[in-house]
Amino acid sequence: MNSLYVYLFVALFLFCVGLWGVLHRRSLIAMLISVELMLNAASINFLAFNRFLSPDPAVGQIVVLFIMGTAAAEAAIGLSIILALFRRYQSVEIGKAQELKG
Amino acid sequence: MVAGLSFELLMAIVVSMSGLVCFGLIMVLTLRSINASVAVGVVGSVLSWLAALYLFIHYWPAREAVVFQVNWLVSSHVQVPFGYYFDSLSLLMLMIVVTISTLIQIYSIGYMAGDPGKSRYYAFLCLFAWSMINLVIAPALIQLYIFWELVGVSSYLLIGFYFEKYSASEAGKKAFVMTRAGDIGFFIGLVLLFLAMGHLAVDVFSSGEKIAAVLPNLKPLFPMKPETLLTISAILIFSGAVGKSAQFPLMTWLPDAMEGPTPVSALLHSATMVAAGVYLVSRIFPFYEASHTAMLVMLVIGTITMLLSSTMAMVARDIKQVWAYSTISQLGFMLMGLGAGAYFAGVFHLTTHAFFKALLFLCAGVFIHHFDTNDFFDMSKGGARKMLIPMIAVTIGVCALSGLPPFSGFFSKEAVMGALAAKHWVWLAAGLLGAAMTAYYSFRVIFVMWFPRGGAAGHAHAHGHVGHADADAHEDHGAHKGGAVWITEWCMLAVLIVLSAITLVLGAFEGEIEAFIIGAKEAATAAQGAAAEGGHGIGHTTVLVLALSCALAGVILAWFEYGARRATQTGFLSRYKAVERLFANRWYMDHFYRKLLDYVVYGGFSNVFTRNDRVVIDGGIDGFSNLTLGLGRLFSRLQSGLLQRNLYVTFFLLALMGLYFFLV
Repeated sequence: MNSLYVYLFVALFLFCVGLWGVLHRRSLIAMLISVELMLNAASINFLAFNRFLSPDPAVGQIVVLFIMGTAAAEAAIGLSIILALFRRYQSVEIGKAQELKG
Repeated sequence: MVAGLSFELLMAIVVSMSGLVCFGLIMVLTLRSINASVAVGVVGSVLSWLAALYLFIHYWPAREAVVFQVNWLVSSHVQVPFGYYFDSLSLLMLMIVVTISTLIQIYSIGYMAGDPGKSRYYAFLCLFAWSMINLVIAPALIQLYIFWELVGVSSYLLIGFYFEKYSASEAGKKAFVMTRAGDIGFFIGLVLLFLAMGHLAVDVFSSGEKIAAVLPNLKPLFPMKPETLLTISAILIFSGAVGKSAQFPLMTWLPDAMEGPTPVSALLHSATMVAAGVYLVSRIFPFYEASHTAMLVMLVIGTITMLLSSTMAMVARDIKQVWAYSTISQLGFMLMGLGAGAYFAGVFHLTTHAFFKALLFLCAGVFIHHFDTNDFFDMSKGGARKMLIPMIAVTIGVCALSGLPPFSGFFSKEAVMGALAAKHWVWLAAGLLGAAMTAYYSFRVIFVMWFPRGGAAGHAHAHGHVGHADADAHEDHGAHKGGAVWITEWCMLAVLIVLSAITLVLGAFEGEIEAFIIGAKEAATAAQGAAAEGGHGIGHTTVLVLALSCALAGVILAWFEYGARRATQTGFLSRYKAVERLFANRWYMDHFYRKLLDYVVYGGFSNVFTRNDRVVIDGGIDGFSNLTLGLGRLFSRLQSGLLQRNLYVTFFLLALMGLYFFLV
């Protein structure tokens, strides 16, 4: 079995776990963590394709660095949103934030 | 035909414009100062009276019509002239109008004393006289129509003069709307004629030969014979006269019109408003003569009106209402005369009626002013018989109204009767019946007022005393004011004396007026013709005797019921309650109109339009907004507020898109 597929399956597994977490966890923090998982899955994909298909220009690695940067920024913004929500609702339950219900 | 600014033209301008100028002056300048307004009104009307008198005397021998006119509107070959048309009929009518309106302005100095709206009142009087004068001297029917409507407007203003009183403003509206109902027909008739002829010169309509000459050249709008067009338009124009002169279907506005001040009623009932209808018919009389159907319609409507309104007058207790009904019946009588083909008889009755009816109303005004009631039984108990001058004046007026010699009404009524007798005995019988009823109801008023009854019951007696006290209080009040009251009283009494004198002597001038109106030669031949006709028809003397005996029968009946010492002062009609109620309710005509309005206007048109408004317009807009709201509600379901469900949908759609790109 080609080792590229191993990486891809690992990445797929990670992405699915992250997706499930985003869609099903009640806690906003858990959702944020799940988003991080999905980002990491994408990073693994980039690295694997870079390593096995076109190793010479290390574009994949650079993209992964970008992803890590955006992930850090995203974590900062996400956490501050979560903080603001917590101040308002005294909880980080996603079910509480329903004010935009039509 | 304008020949420089001759003195006659100047006089004509004075006659025709003084009313408008006075109206403008009062409305713009002197509305605050009552005395100035009265002065402006009286001076203006006296001026126009002098000018009219000059014109009347100046043109007296003239047989040819004198026309001053300018083109007001010109559009290709259509011309609408404006100006003055003086022939014997318009001069006579002009004289009546200016005389009576001047007398009434003088009378009103007294009657309206102390009324805060006196300036407005004088302004409207001027407007009224102005419209009527210009109606009378119109050279074309279009000008006549314009002033016809102006007469309607100013009578509306005057009938509703006490506009703070609900019944008065209602009466004003009723008068305006009912006369408008007739005017619609009038207007349609005019338009039909105008389209067929291209002009509406009075000159043509007032001459039989010219109409006969024009008739074959008519170009009717719809394919029909010229004679048919003539009949249709004659009847339509007559419907305008029906509205204005309060004839049969449209008569009920006139009794209500007494809500205005009494001098206004006098003006309205004698020379201006109601006379306009009869004047219109006599103005274009040869035009009517050309159509037998129209003449018959006129005769029938006049007869119905005369009989109906006489019965109404027999049970009325309100003195002004009695006179109002009698006006309607006398107008019907005039139209009967005209319809029977007697041009002079109708016009002459219009002339005499104008004076004695003004006299009767002004007398009623004196009594109402004094006793503060409209009920002549109450006036009688209050001591009306002590007011000698008005009592004598009202007696003279009533004698003229009943057609007793030697008062003016006798001559004119007898002329109409002669014409009716020449037509058919049925019309004569109706006329005689009307004459008897007229004598009965008018002498009923007189006998009640001359011979007051304390009444068998104590209540009535007490009531009488109250009346006395009121009258005394009135007099005391008057004495305090001193000289001013003396003047106002005499303004009213002097006018009564003048009108009584005219009523007394006017009959003696029948020959002169006849010669003036239809020409000396024609008058002579007409007399000969009548004499010749006497051989085979109902003789002239017979008619005279019949008319007199009918009137006397009415007087005698009234004497036994109201005058004689043992009379109970209850009419024979009170024994037939149903009939009495029918008469007192004006044959339920008002009820009929009420119902008609309820069903047709309120239940029909207005219901349809209300529904259209509610269902179609309101419903459409409501529906549209409801649709928007519903759609909004539907789509707002999508905004569940559940973040994760939104994410679900997003990922699902992304997955679908991915699948699509993967496969395609």
